[in-house]
Amino acid sequence: MHLTQVLELFPEYTVTQLLFKDVKNTTELRKMAVNGEIKGALINPSMVVDSFQILVAANKAVHLHKNGKMKTRSLYSEIIFNLSPTNNISEAFKRFGISDSDSAVHIVLVHNKDEILNINDIILKVDGQQIAVDRVSDLTDVAKIKKLYKVAPLEEKCGSLLDAVVCRMATKDVA
Amino acid sequence: MAHSDSVKAGVPSYLKEAQMIKQGAEARVYRGTFLGRSVVIKERFTKLYRHPEVDEKLTRRRTTQEVRSILRCRRAGINAPVVYFVDYTTHCIFLEDIIHSVSVRDHIASAQASEQNPQHLQTLVDKIGEILAQMHDEDVIHGDLTTSNMLLVSGAEDHNMKLVLIDFGLSYISALPEDKGVDLYVLEKAFLSTHPKTETLFERLLKSYTASSKKSPAVIKKLDEVRLRGRKRSMVG
Repeated sequence: MHLTQVLELFPEYTVTQLLFKDVKNTTELRKMAVNGEIKGALINPSMVVDSFQILVAANKAVHLHKNGKMKTRSLYSEIIFNLSPTNNISEAFKRFGISDSDSAVHIVLVHNKDEILNINDIILKVDGQQIAVDRVSDLTDVAKIKKLYKVAPLEEKCGSLLDAVVCRMATKDVA
Repeated sequence: MAHSDSVKAGVPSYLKEAQMIKQGAEARVYRGTFLGRSVVIKERFTKLYRHPEVDEKLTRRRTTQEVRSILRCRRAGINAPVVYFVDYTTHCIFLEDIIHSVSVRDHIASAQASEQNPQHLQTLVDKIGEILAQMHDEDVIHGDLTTSNMLLVSGAEDHNMKLVLIDFGLSYISALPEDKGVDLYVLEKAFLSTHPKTETLFERLLKSYTASSKKSPAVIKKLDEVRLRGRKRSMVG
C-alpha cells in the first residue's frame, strides 16, 4: 500500500509515502505532527499530482538539510515548503499542509537506514482508510493546482501537468 | 551528519557512480537515475585558472540562467528538458533524459547520406524556424544554436514532429533584434559548416522563421548586418 523509495543522492535516506481517505481525526493528527509525536509531513492530497512530486520535494529537503540551508525549522516542514511555487512559508503551510476540515491525508516519512521505522505505529494513529499511494491522482484538484502554479494551456503542449509542477518546484529559488 | 565529510558527500559521490557521456569546456554531462527516473546531469566544474570568487560567481550565474531559460521556454510551449533538481553548492542540474531521440545534426547527416526524399528535411527545417521564432518572441536568446543542441524525438509523424531544444548554458533574456540576429548568425555558421550543400535548406529555415514571428523583419535586417561584420560588434568610432 505504501510507497518506499531510496534517495539515490543520499542512499542512507529512504522516503516512505502513505495515503489515507475518510480520515476523521485530522485535527488530532496535525497536533501530533506539530509536537513531534508523528515524525512526518502531513500533506493535503488535493495538491499532489503524483508521488514523484513528493519525492522531488523530499529530496530537495534532505539536500538543504545536509547543507544547513533549510528555509524552515524542520525537515518535514521543509518538504511542505518545497512543494509550494512561492517563497511564502505560511502560505505554503496553508495550501499544502492539512487543515482541520480535510478528510484525506498524504503522509511522508523520511528515515535513516539504521533507524527502525514502524509504519504500523503511524497507521494506528490515523482514524481512516489507507489506500494505495498511486490513487492520489483520484484526489488531485487539477484546477486548483493549475491556478496556484500558474500553468497555462500553452505549457501543457510540451509536457504533463506533473512536469510543469516539478519544474517550478525545482527552480523556484531563482525563477 | 554534522561532520564536514558527509555534508558534501551527496552529489559528488553520486556522480562517481554515474556514467559520464560528455565533457566540454564548461561542464561534464552524466547519465543516471534520479528518484527512479532516467536523468541527464550537467555538472559545471570549478575552473582552477580563474580567481575562486569570480569562478563561483560566473558558474552560479550560468547555472541559474540555464534553468530560468528552460522554464521560460516551457511556459511558452517550447520543448526543453524538465528540470528535476538543482544543486547550487556543486552546480549540478538534474534534467529529464530525452529518450528515443537523435540530434538534428545526426539526423540531417544520415538523411543526406541515404538521399531520402528532400521533403522530409524541408519539413524539419520549417519546424526549426518556427520554434526559434517562438523562442525569440519570448525574448530567450539561446546563445549556442547548433544542430547538435536540437533533439528530434523519434516515433512522431512528420506533421507533428517533436523537437526539443537543449543546452541553455549560454542563454540569456534580451529583446534586442541585435542579439536575436547574432543568435541566428551563430546557427547559420554552425549549420552550413556541419552540413555541406545546405544553403537552400537554411534559407528555407529563415523563411519559416520570418513567417512565424511578428518581430522578424528587424531581426533579419540585423542578421544581414551581422553577416557583413561578424558576431562581434565593431567598437570603432
